[in-house]
Amino acid sequence: MTTKNPWNKINVSRRDMLRLGAGGIGLGLFGGIGPVPPVLAQASRSVTANQSDKILVVFEWFGGNDGLNTIVPYGDPLYYKHRPRIGIQEPDVLKIDAQFGWYKSMRGMKRLYDDGKIAIVHGVGYDRPSFSHFTSISFWHTAAPNSGNEYGWVGRTGANLDPSGVRENMIVNIGESQTLAVKAPKHVPLVFVDPQMFKRAVFAPEKPVLNTLAAAREPVGDTHRYVLEVTKSAAQASEVVRAAWSAYRTKASPDLRLLDLDKVVALIEAGFPTQLYYVPLRGSLFDTHVNQASPHDRQLQYCSDAIGGFFSEMERIGRADDVVMYVHSEFGRRVPENTSLGTDHGTAQVNFVIGNAVKGGMYGKPPSLSELVLGDNLQSTTDFRRVYATLINDWLGADATTVLGEPFETLGMIKSQAAKTRAKA
Amino acid sequence: MRKLKKRMITPRTPWSPGPAAWQDDLSPLPSSEWNYDRAAHLLAHAGFGGTPEDLEKFADAGLDRAVEALVHYERLPNPKMQPFVESGFWDPSFDHFPESRPDATDRAEKNGASMGVDVKPAGNRPVQPVSDRFFYWLRATMLETRRLGYWWANRMLQTTHPVEEKMALLWHGHFATHENKVRDYRKMHQQIGLFERYATGNLRDLTIEVAKNPAMLYFLDAQYNVKGAPNENFAREVMELFTMGVGNYTEKDVRECARAFTGWYFDDLAFKVDPDKHDAGSKEFLGRIGSFDGVDILRIIFEQPVTAEFLAAKIYRFLVRDEISPALRRSVGKVLRDADYEVKPLLTAILRSKDFYSAASYGGHIKSPVEHMVAMMKHLGAESMPGVPDFNQSTIALGQHLLNPPSVAGWAGGKAWITPGLLIARGNVARDTLIPDMTGFRDWNFNAGSDNVLGERLRDGYDIGAATALNDPAKMSEFDRVALERDEKFNTRISGYIGWEQAARKLIPTPRDAARFDLTAMVLTSGAKTTAEAVDYLTWRLLRVPAAKETRDALVAFLTNELGTESLDRARTYMEDPLRMTGHLVMSTPEYQIV
Repeated sequence: MTTKNPWNKINVSRRDMLRLGAGGIGLGLFGGIGPVPPVLAQASRSVTANQSDKILVVFEWFGGNDGLNTIVPYGDPLYYKHRPRIGIQEPDVLKIDAQFGWYKSMRGMKRLYDDGKIAIVHGVGYDRPSFSHFTSISFWHTAAPNSGNEYGWVGRTGANLDPSGVRENMIVNIGESQTLAVKAPKHVPLVFVDPQMFKRAVFAPEKPVLNTLAAAREPVGDTHRYVLEVTKSAAQASEVVRAAWSAYRTKASPDLRLLDLDKVVALIEAGFPTQLYYVPLRGSLFDTHVNQASPHDRQLQYCSDAIGGFFSEMERIGRADDVVMYVHSEFGRRVPENTSLGTDHGTAQVNFVIGNAVKGGMYGKPPSLSELVLGDNLQSTTDFRRVYATLINDWLGADATTVLGEPFETLGMIKSQAAKTRAKA
Repeated sequence: MRKLKKRMITPRTPWSPGPAAWQDDLSPLPSSEWNYDRAAHLLAHAGFGGTPEDLEKFADAGLDRAVEALVHYERLPNPKMQPFVESGFWDPSFDHFPESRPDATDRAEKNGASMGVDVKPAGNRPVQPVSDRFFYWLRATMLETRRLGYWWANRMLQTTHPVEEKMALLWHGHFATHENKVRDYRKMHQQIGLFERYATGNLRDLTIEVAKNPAMLYFLDAQYNVKGAPNENFAREVMELFTMGVGNYTEKDVRECARAFTGWYFDDLAFKVDPDKHDAGSKEFLGRIGSFDGVDILRIIFEQPVTAEFLAAKIYRFLVRDEISPALRRSVGKVLRDADYEVKPLLTAILRSKDFYSAASYGGHIKSPVEHMVAMMKHLGAESMPGVPDFNQSTIALGQHLLNPPSVAGWAGGKAWITPGLLIARGNVARDTLIPDMTGFRDWNFNAGSDNVLGERLRDGYDIGAATALNDPAKMSEFDRVALERDEKFNTRISGYIGWEQAARKLIPTPRDAARFDLTAMVLTSGAKTTAEAVDYLTWRLLRVPAAKETRDALVAFLTNELGTESLDRARTYMEDPLRMTGHLVMSTPEYQIV
């Protein structure tokens, strides 16, 4: 080559590179510099011996779900006093007991509940609650209410499960942009919403050049190594995700409406090594300030049908024992209805933990409807980090105290059989 | 075609990362080691990069004068800095803006008015104007904050004081508040001013000013922190996130700290203390006892050695590289502490150090999305940020919404800036910048999104009830439509739309021009004659870490193929777009994301 390319004169030799590695900037992270690019080696050992097959799917109902019109306290006359116009009437309740019932459009989840596969957790929240969607969800994402953390609780859980961060696609986030919950100290979460759009915007003649971007080369340092890995992962993941997706589409029933959970099914069926999936609901109708009956009915039905459909898909592919789903919002809603036949931002909410490994039933103390706090709001009775701790410790077998920074009592809703299987693995 | 002035091409200095032995060594780089490439490294980290012409000046000045000019920038004139021109949304009736829409409408029902707007004496939806007014301000301050972010990005690009803007950006992410909660673009604007003013000043003074800053006071709930009922929000963050880091104080320290800040509040844009709400009693804080107020508390915090290390490491990681060894952390902490928290001596020490030019620091930093966008314009020689693509939409797509960090902890930064999807998005944003979609572009400031349909229905003559119906009123019977109209005090859904409309009428539009630069002239002026030389020039100009040889060769093949010749002279009349595609491809490399 006769050009003046300045890069031809790079004065870092391979020996320098090795010395850099010895200097401790992390070049040895993936087992040293060999002829095989680490990311390729990783892909080939994506399922390793000590890897658990337990999967957690977090399905975030952003918008502020009205828990009182979801698990309806139809047995409490105060409920109807607070909600004379929008309270769910007894005939519209799928009864659980003399006090509570599912809202009528939630047949998908009611069926799972009747099969003993759903834990309903009442009164979930935190002290000094924020009424802002964004502030409150950031507290839930970081598990740091009225505080902050650089990383999300799911991202930190990933680091706890796989401290060296070698596992590819450990965390998948179905969303337009990466949610704070999955921001991870060790992993590169795979973030996408439309597998078809998970690709570069290019003009046709540019394509051959783009194909070289992930070409193997010696990184000049730890950061460069990282971006090279991400480049590789972007090139690989976009292919495998698209492959998994098109394979799934040919099998899926056209009647099944899974919201974004269909992508999770596709990846699980394709054998992705992902243990942590995070799916924030898109196009949420949960922020029901106005005329809430119709949108809330519709939203609950969509979500409940999607969850029912998701678990029937898990049965179909034989992975139902390996998956637990967790459903939460950023807050519940004000107890009394407002003047627009809706409800405003509130505090405590109802959560769901779902799966074959779950001991179905009701957990947590239902908040009182007579002793309201903070301007007509529910007093939370269960810190949300107790639910997180339950999922982290009892389901995933990680260390919740490390992830959450302090110990939280778990809720005991995961079957011990599941825990035992995990211990054996 | 106009004649291009040919420059003498100085031989390009090779890529010059220093030896690994320099890592963690804060002693100054010998002046004999200074060269153009190291000047490029300096500008890329301390600022937003520069054109070869800029960099040559720094290279010629020598290390000491280059660092001096960057750090002691006050002496340099800064002629392009323009004040922010407000659209004029604010009026005093927005003072004490309601916490929520129910708060706004409750107030109105009680007092007959809220935010300067009266309740109607009769008729359906008497409180509608108040609800509209509430959403008007929410939309107005959101839209104006977009303009503010764009204005700030232009300052970053146009300033002759890049270190000032770079450090202001650091402090914005460090003392993080977001407009989403603050809901007042003026307070965010005021805060940018504070971060610029103290960008490289005294960190203790900056932290005290931040504690008194209205955006921060509101953001961390100062209004709820009163004698007898202290709110710990600010007290906890000031220690955990702003100064010391977790593990260096007790819960009791948090409570005592909160007491010291009781009674601090703001009146519009001014800091105030309410003596009646201030707890003047004795406090025990970090082992000291006294009737401390907030300033006393901050002074005690800044007496802790851990504070100097925490803050110096934060600066280091922001400017140099993501990882810092415990030894280097102690060293930079000592420099900051010895300088009594003056930032300039620390910056001077870092930017002159062998460590800064060591191999570990070369390519050790992932550009934030805002840095990325500004640096792109710097590299291309554009003199202002483009209107197409939209600056905020672009950086949001890349994971950074200026003036709206995700939480009080700011942006995670470092490796969190890059995911597979975000990396692809960086390439896509580069394409939209170099080859903008001028005919397809739609201004999102004039697009109410899912509320657009409400406007269409109102303009089609539907009642508010029908307009806000879930289903399309055009497909309903007249009977069903009429049944949708109901008596109510107000309808918030329609207010969301009306608020946007009213705000958009007043909003100063953002000019939607493409980035202005001329790659043909740039490449010809460099003296490049062949497509290979053009590719080598562009990669040299744009990258701080060399790209893969496969990419370089593929770029040459691509450009030759697009031009139909290897000769730039032959292709000079039509090579702009192929060169722009080349630029897009270079900016899509993993190497372009790091400096």
